[in-house]
Amino acid sequence: MMPDADPAQPRPARAVDASMTLLNEVMHRPLDPGYAAAAGRRARGEEAPRAAVTIVVLLVVAIVLGFGTARAAIELRKPQPGVVAARTLLQDEITSTRAEVATLTAQNAALGTSIDTLRDSALEFVDPELVRTVALDGFTNGTVAAKGPGITVTVADGADAATDPAAFVQDSDLQSVVNALWSAGAEAIAINGQRLTATTSIRSAGSAILVDLVGVAGPYEVVAIGNRNDLETGLARSSAAQQLSALGSQYGIKTSVATHEDLLVPAGPTRVLFSAQPLGTDNGDK
Amino acid sequence: MVTSDYSMGEYNVIPVFGLLIGIAAGLFLEPTVPVYLQPYLPIAVVAALDALFGGLRALLDGMFDDKVFLVSFLSNVVVAALIVFLGDQLGVGTQLSTGVVVVLGIRIFSNAAAIRRHLFKA
Repeated sequence: MMPDADPAQPRPARAVDASMTLLNEVMHRPLDPGYAAAAGRRARGEEAPRAAVTIVVLLVVAIVLGFGTARAAIELRKPQPGVVAARTLLQDEITSTRAEVATLTAQNAALGTSIDTLRDSALEFVDPELVRTVALDGFTNGTVAAKGPGITVTVADGADAATDPAAFVQDSDLQSVVNALWSAGAEAIAINGQRLTATTSIRSAGSAILVDLVGVAGPYEVVAIGNRNDLETGLARSSAAQQLSALGSQYGIKTSVATHEDLLVPAGPTRVLFSAQPLGTDNGDK
Repeated sequence: MVTSDYSMGEYNVIPVFGLLIGIAAGLFLEPTVPVYLQPYLPIAVVAALDALFGGLRALLDGMFDDKVFLVSFLSNVVVAALIVFLGDQLGVGTQLSTGVVVVLGIRIFSNAAAIRRHLFKA
């Protein structure tokens, strides 16, 4: 207690926690002081009975408040219609556009096949040697489907990929596997049905991996056609194998390798050249 | 205190009746809330909950007063909406809303604890 000169009007001691008035107010006096004041007035008999007008006003205010609160609660509980509509619209658009893409891709493939057939039949009598060269080039480029013995390397996301983004397979992981397979003598490679051609990229966009700009999802199956023994030993000796085993122990990314008698890799897209021109035949590029 | 409170019983029923009528009307009539009011709804509902819990506690404390209840209810909702509006204008709408929700949440919690003490004597 602070010493005070006038005992009749003792100055109240400054509370220790005066700087926390706001918090104290909230924590210890959650009830509106108006209730206590009104109760005190009633106890002292100072409050006159309510006039009829006051009662009507109070009733109206109460109805309005109840109405408003109920409406607000209902409004908050129902899903936002604008968001839902926009989402449905986008979903429909994605679905229909996907179907359109699939149709156009199939049409493109059919047209490509008919072009090849027509070209071959046209060249057959003029230059049979050229037909063989074209077919071989197409095969080497990856624009013709190929089959043969080989191995499949399956890389799957880690078990806790849902919580840990690092447990996802990255584009660089697939790149190193593919590079190891190429260097081990693979002749044709496809990832989840996407053939790797001379211009195919493997890269990530956000959390998705794009192979030749087409999104692929895990588990990623890398199909490589080639000498099975060479591929297996080449992959095992490569740095990609070390990387994969490190990923397996650190993030739970599972890798499995299997050999197959007969594998099929689909044809990749033919890149149409608009600007590039072949060098003149007199420049001797043959 | 308690006896004097219940002598006012006939008035105390008014806000309860009014609120019930209003809630029933809101549930059955299903008018649409104007779009410009939408941002204020969550905070307004929390403020209304605070007023409701305060009123319930006052009733159990034997201090309930219909006028105080309705005025605090109305001012709570209006002030909460005003704070959100002001926050939106100043670009700190989210932070202010969080602050309001924290304060009202603490009050609701303390009042609920007081109500529990009244009802269960524990």
